[in-house]
Amino acid sequence: MKKLSSEGVISPIWNWKITAVSFSLLIFVGFLAISFGPVPLEFQKIIRTLCGLPGGLTGQERTLLIDLRLPRALLAAIVGAALATSGAVYQTVFRNPLADPYLLGAAAGAGLGATIAITSAGADLYSLLPIFSFFGAILAVLVSFFISGKFFAEPNSLLLSGIAVGSFATAVQTYLQQRNSSSLRPVYSWILGELTVANWEKVTWSSIYIFIALTILITVSKQLDGLMLTDEEAYSLGINPNRLRVIAVIAATLATATAVSASGLIGFVGIVVPHLVRGITHRVTNRGLLTIALVGASFLVLADLGARTLLSPAELPIGVITAFVGAPFFLVVLRKKRLVAK
Amino acid sequence: MIKVEDLNVRFGQKEILKDINVEIEHSKWTCLVGPNGAGKTTFLKALLGSQSYSGSITDSGAEVYGNHNRNVAFVPQHPQIPIGMSVSEYVMLGRSKRDGWGNESKKSRTLVADILKLTGLFGMLNQFVSQLSGGEMQRALIARALVQEPTLILLDEPTSALDLHHQIAVLNNIELLKERGVTIVSTMHDITLAAMYAEKIVVMQEGKVLLSGTSDFVIHSPELQVAFENRISVFTLDSGRPVIVAKKDLSN
Repeated sequence: MKKLSSEGVISPIWNWKITAVSFSLLIFVGFLAISFGPVPLEFQKIIRTLCGLPGGLTGQERTLLIDLRLPRALLAAIVGAALATSGAVYQTVFRNPLADPYLLGAAAGAGLGATIAITSAGADLYSLLPIFSFFGAILAVLVSFFISGKFFAEPNSLLLSGIAVGSFATAVQTYLQQRNSSSLRPVYSWILGELTVANWEKVTWSSIYIFIALTILITVSKQLDGLMLTDEEAYSLGINPNRLRVIAVIAATLATATAVSASGLIGFVGIVVPHLVRGITHRVTNRGLLTIALVGASFLVLADLGARTLLSPAELPIGVITAFVGAPFFLVVLRKKRLVAK
Repeated sequence: MIKVEDLNVRFGQKEILKDINVEIEHSKWTCLVGPNGAGKTTFLKALLGSQSYSGSITDSGAEVYGNHNRNVAFVPQHPQIPIGMSVSEYVMLGRSKRDGWGNESKKSRTLVADILKLTGLFGMLNQFVSQLSGGEMQRALIARALVQEPTLILLDEPTSALDLHHQIAVLNNIELLKERGVTIVSTMHDITLAAMYAEKIVVMQEGKVLLSGTSDFVIHSPELQVAFENRISVFTLDSGRPVIVAKKDLSN
């Protein structure tokens, strides 16, 4: 929001405090995630270990931190940022506050691509999973476009065809799982969403793809404001709306596909986080997108902490936690919107 | 001078604009009139450069299609209302082309404050555009066009859905642009208002230009009756100002 300074000039105040608070929250939640668990780690020792100072963690505790908790928390943060940001971008591009990576068929397509990779080549091919997922996701989105026949003209018909394509992709995925019963278990646990197999290799490749996607999205985030206007207005303000939509959808789909292939299907992050941030910043475009990425990262790190500790020493699939929190939240948002509409 | 030569626009098999040849003078107000479906809005989009066409539209010698070097403001009839955007941010969008998206120079911030005062929106600068009334939204659109400092402004039915008081307020705001040397092209369903403000009127029907000329010439020409299928009557007030009203009997 802008305020007026004494000279009658609109002050260029974007609330950076919100972004700063989101960043601090992520750091705080990150430290919580790496220190809590069945084996609690001392906060000071974690800091000393991370800074390479003497007096840090040693032996098994060090391995627990460096090889298990740290990559897991980082992966949760990366995936959370990717899902939340792409959810916000889909909502802007398709002018539908309920659009998320799952409604367009992108996530189901990514899931199908990853299932093909796991069932045909084995779960060892982690570095190829994003490629399979990406093409699965892109194919699903393209088919959704093709079926709706209207490209960006009628966002709601696109969403409906996205739901149909998503269901079809899920059906094919289930068929493949049943045919390859030997890989049923890894595929199933992956579908539920899991970060348990997080390792540095997975963190590295997923962060590369997601970094590229998010850099593109943050770069065009200010222009995304233009997509909230009519195409002619956007054009007159120097934007090529269709080109911007294609760039945004490709980048958001890459982020979704990588997130899905890294951690399985984790629902509701793409809807809950943008709505949560919108409640504070009122917008999901422009500089709000960076806040959404940070809050999305915190949200999933926290959800993963819950998944690890609630039934400790057993683990809950993280998708269960996000749905447990997300579904009621989603219903509250819907109810609130209906009341406002009345 | 904007020169439109043999302009044709098709949507699939449907011809929307057919062989249009018109010249639009710079720093003048040209108004497109005609019944619904005449192709006025499509013509505006072609002038903007966002609508593909065959034939030629040149602005000071340069073809307009896809030409982002021009600074053209567009005021739609049915704007999309952005969620969570304040009036000042909305008006500030008009500076995006000059400052770059999301950047706001101090000059722009001063200009936006001035224009908000000029258009009577200063008191609601922190209000969301989604909370504005129809008349206030129209003023916000005009304000955004003003801060854009365009060379050409295209307005699609800028006075539709406004009461008379707001119609005059909005049209006076548009006149401010003309005083600054901006070329204005608008569509308007109220021909009386068109004759009152525009220097030139272009009458369109079924994608064609029936006639164009000075407001006075067009208002009194028989082709205007043809365009509206003899459903209008033209009266002249004592002041010499023409008034065009719809005939009650539609059997003609």
